[in-house]
Amino acid sequence: MIKIEKLSKFYGKKQVLNSIDLEFKKGKIYGIVGENGAGKTTLFRCISGLENYKGNITSDYNKLKDHLGLLLTEPFFFSKITGKEYIRLLANARQKKLTNIEDKNIFDLPLNQYASTYSTGMKKKLALTAILLQENNVFILDEPFNGVDIQSNLIITEILKRFKKLEKTVIISSHIFSTLANTCDEIYLMKNGEIIKKVEQVDFNKLENEMKEFTVGNRIDKLELK
Amino acid sequence: MIDFGIPLLIGYTLLPLVFILLSNYLFEKTEFANYVYGLFALSFVSKLSEPIRNDFLKSIFNKHKYKKLRAIENLIYCLPFTLFLIYKNQFAFSVILNLFVILITLFNFSTNLNVTFPTPFSKKPFEFTVGFRKTFYVFPIAYFLTYISVSLGNFNLGVFSMLLVGITCFSYYSKIENEYFVWNYNLSSKEFLLEKTKTCLIYFSLLSVPIIVTLAVSFFNEIDILIVFFLLSYAYLTTIIFAKYSSFPNEMNISQGILIALSFMFPPILVIFIPLFYSQSIKKLNAILND
Repeated sequence: MIKIEKLSKFYGKKQVLNSIDLEFKKGKIYGIVGENGAGKTTLFRCISGLENYKGNITSDYNKLKDHLGLLLTEPFFFSKITGKEYIRLLANARQKKLTNIEDKNIFDLPLNQYASTYSTGMKKKLALTAILLQENNVFILDEPFNGVDIQSNLIITEILKRFKKLEKTVIISSHIFSTLANTCDEIYLMKNGEIIKKVEQVDFNKLENEMKEFTVGNRIDKLELK
Repeated sequence: MIDFGIPLLIGYTLLPLVFILLSNYLFEKTEFANYVYGLFALSFVSKLSEPIRNDFLKSIFNKHKYKKLRAIENLIYCLPFTLFLIYKNQFAFSVILNLFVILITLFNFSTNLNVTFPTPFSKKPFEFTVGFRKTFYVFPIAYFLTYISVSLGNFNLGVFSMLLVGITCFSYYSKIENEYFVWNYNLSSKEFLLEKTKTCLIYFSLLSVPIIVTLAVSFFNEIDILIVFFLLSYAYLTTIIFAKYSSFPNEMNISQGILIALSFMFPPILVIFIPLFYSQSIKKLNAILND
């Protein structure tokens, strides 16, 4: 379990996270939604230990980060490193000895090609493959479906369902609500650095309608489309 | 230069001095310096032959202006080398070099090939994996210089070839990686630094073995000097790794750059700098590795 208490984060004088309290349990998938700049990525960086913060983050693990697979919104790649070497780099970092990497290439990526030449979706899939092979217990996936094709989308959704059975803890952010509705147990709505709503599975449809109403409203009418 | 934490004004003042010092050193150490120098100059100028930039220039200028522009920029790029060759009374060679430089403008080629270049260091990415692919041509040059040094009985040239390998490996650690790649390690800061240093020294040794063995056999009487230079290379590689992480996640700053430059002038000072950079690195890494 991961417990977050009174988590706040400031960049200079600007407060980006405001006294957040959350709890993530084993075997559950949590969705975090919110508009750009709501604080989702900062929240993920704080949980991972990539940012300093005020408040407390505790977990069942001595060092949470050593059991955590973090998928960044825009994974970073070196210029002359192949897909296979990227996977090996991340596995080596966790002292995991990988064999037959090609057999584990579930997204059919060109692993012997330089990763920096991959498309956005391929980069995302490579980064995801690398953290999956690290054999983590907790996963934070920032926009895992971003730029990913429909086939891979289905594979990722299936992986998430498998994680649930394996008692892993998964936290996902996504702008594609349907993917979250298919996989998550709970969804938290973030706005201006605060959690403004917690929604259980039964109310997902209601949340989607509310979000549509809130986000779209009568904005499109202003265009006076003819 | 900004990337290395050196202010532009200081950088642009130091750069010509470093260029002159290195050029002078090369010409003092070997009679084949003008050939090596020419190769360096051509590889430097060839960076301007990238198809993307030149296609852009072609789209702006007409054919005549484009050719003129390419020739002028190549000649300007080559100017420091030309001036030094003239200073060394290598007039004919400087003319030939400039002709080649103009000839290059007729061709566009990428110096960053996207063809996956095989590397012996793919098991433990990333510094040597990436670095070797970017600088693979240095090693045949270094081995060739070793061969020349043996065939001419010029020990200094042999030492230069070993230092060339050392400096090349040194450059692999000059840029800081994204914090994500450090964060991923489930090691303590000490273990992390040890792992990085161990990998670096093993891989550097592998690249240096052909040179060391050849020089040790051919210049047995000079083996003590060889060992000193080899150990110094180890010390400098360790220094750059510790210096790199001493400012993590930022790039090395000006003060660290000055300390490293000082250590090149007075190597015994490494006895102080290595522990200093080490303790600073541990502090910086503790923050990201949650030690």
